Amino acid sequence: MKSTSAVLTVFRKEIIDALRDRRTLLTVLVSSVLLGPLVLVAISALVASLESRAEARQVVVAGIEHAPSLKNWFERQTYTVKAAPADYEKQLRNAKLTDPVVVVPADFEAALQRGESPTVELVSDSANQRSQAGAGPIARLLGGFSRERATLNLALRGISLELLEPMQVEDRDLASTQTRATQITGMLPYFVMMAVLYGALNAALDTTAGERERGSLEPLLMNPSERWVLVVGKWGAVASVGMLIAVLSCLSFLPGQWVLRSDTLAAMFQYGPREAALFLVVLLPFAAAVSALLMAVAIRCKSFKEAQASSTVVMLAASLLPLVNVFSLGGDSPWHLWVPALAQNVLMTRVLKGEAFDTAQVLVPLGVCVLLASVCVWFVARTLRSAAVR
Amino acid sequence: MISIRHLAKQFAAPSTKRKGLAGVSLKRPPARFVQAVKDVSFDAPDGHITGLLGPNGAGKTTTLRMLAGLITPDAGSMAVDAIDVASRPREALARMGVLSDSRGLYPRLSARENIVYFGRLQGMSADAANARAENLAQMLEMTALLDRRTDGFSQGERMKTALARALVHDPANIILDEPTNGLDVLATRALRESLRWLRTPAGGSKCIVFSTHIMQEVERLCDSVVVVAHGRTVATGTVPSLLAQTGESDFEEAFVKLAFAEEIQAHEAAPELMR
Repeated sequence: MKSTSAVLTVFRKEIIDALRDRRTLLTVLVSSVLLGPLVLVAISALVASLESRAEARQVVVAGIEHAPSLKNWFERQTYTVKAAPADYEKQLRNAKLTDPVVVVPADFEAALQRGESPTVELVSDSANQRSQAGAGPIARLLGGFSRERATLNLALRGISLELLEPMQVEDRDLASTQTRATQITGMLPYFVMMAVLYGALNAALDTTAGERERGSLEPLLMNPSERWVLVVGKWGAVASVGMLIAVLSCLSFLPGQWVLRSDTLAAMFQYGPREAALFLVVLLPFAAAVSALLMAVAIRCKSFKEAQASSTVVMLAASLLPLVNVFSLGGDSPWHLWVPALAQNVLMTRVLKGEAFDTAQVLVPLGVCVLLASVCVWFVARTLRSAAVR
Repeated sequence: MISIRHLAKQFAAPSTKRKGLAGVSLKRPPARFVQAVKDVSFDAPDGHITGLLGPNGAGKTTTLRMLAGLITPDAGSMAVDAIDVASRPREALARMGVLSDSRGLYPRLSARENIVYFGRLQGMSADAANARAENLAQMLEMTALLDRRTDGFSQGERMKTALARALVHDPANIILDEPTNGLDVLATRALRESLRWLRTPAGGSKCIVFSTHIMQEVERLCDSVVVVAHGRTVATGTVPSLLAQTGESDFEEAFVKLAFAEEIQAHEAAPELMR
């Protein structure tokens, strides 16, 4: 009973201390709360511009006057033909022009008549992503023209059309709308985890290395409280700050959805209270474990600055591990769930994809987090006394 | 009542780096040890101010840290009000108020919150700790500071807050490690007055141990002096008895004789080496 009240005393003091660090707290809060909406706005602006071009149905052509038949084809496909600017190559290179350009040679119509198969260039710049994205549909459009000409020529000679297409190809995409959306929203779990890490970082460093730097750790240990009591109280406070950031950044995606400019994306990105709750189930243990880990790293450092340098290793690991999931083309492996940071990313991505996962898949990362947190808290408690006097 | 018997402690010293590439060898150099405390013994009775006097690096701070349970001694024993520090450190700490060498405060908390936090950790109720903080503030003349954040406190204001924090649980034994460091004349005087009062029956007949390297402090304040040098207790007694023992009339001369006896002997044996 006495230990519990001492833990609470330490906890309350550290929370007050952390909350009074207004500037740091505000920076973290604002960035984590605005993060969700900002990322969503950026993604939706990108998707919206892609959509608007698909709707615009325009084709940019240099030398359309040489090809009345091609112009006629474009117009029958309800495309508007736009003349290319003279310096289209330069404009494509510096991304001023976002549509690929079709270049028609001067003798196009005559060559076509003679059956000489004239060459039409489709100019885009693969470094100019938007022109690159538009090149596919235009290439298909041009292919359609060739096919029509061929069909007409063969039909005149009485040849069956099936000879031209001995095989039919049909697209069938297995991805559900939500799975497709994760191609775009896949970085959201990553951002949320970073917010939690940076949220806990300051408090974790302040309660350990900061306490050493101020010279307040030695007086603190001259109280008859047990060391684990002090450490558990401190860890509780740091973890609470991390969890607060987790809650705020998860909830920030809910209103973030209202600002989605693209209807398609809004339909694909399903993030409701249920998803937010599942995110938190995954994130809260992670926040607690990572707080303990940061404290364990920082307690060995004499100053706040030194601790910041050391904690970079943790931050780097936590930001690189989720990439295993991004790069592994073979899909999820069972071992992914045993690695902190990676496991959370895997599970949150599944939530976004709308895939189900069973309790065991939540329990493994939870167990890992509990183990990590206990080992780190034990380590801090063990190191505390020698840290105080050095 | 504090009694310390034959205390000893050695530390592994950081190895001296060899110059150039030789220093980058993978083999760890053999650990070197520094004997910080070799043999320190003294008794500090209740209602009595005991001065722990010694030059820098004599082992005063290490001794007091061992007393506070921060460092485990290699040998020797310590007892606070007959409680063995090694076997019952928490009970001993509850009977001690320690103003240690590092006396950092929490800058985002007010002086009152700093003091009450330690009171709560000593097991006091919030009300009791608060009342005690106000009492101590009156005694240390810092009532006006009580509800200000300690960020931006002057050296003397910090010192008062740290002292109040150490005394919040009204300990029977008060241990102060160089408390006048960085204090001006007025603050030093005020501290001296407070300590004198704490020694009286009205102030609680506290057992006060006070480490310093300043002679005047000892002459003005201490009932008895323990001279520590090179990790050993080299002399114990009142100021007049130490003067008599060394045959000096000036306490500083007496102290130099007691604390630096080895150096003086070496100097007399081989004077050319010391030049």
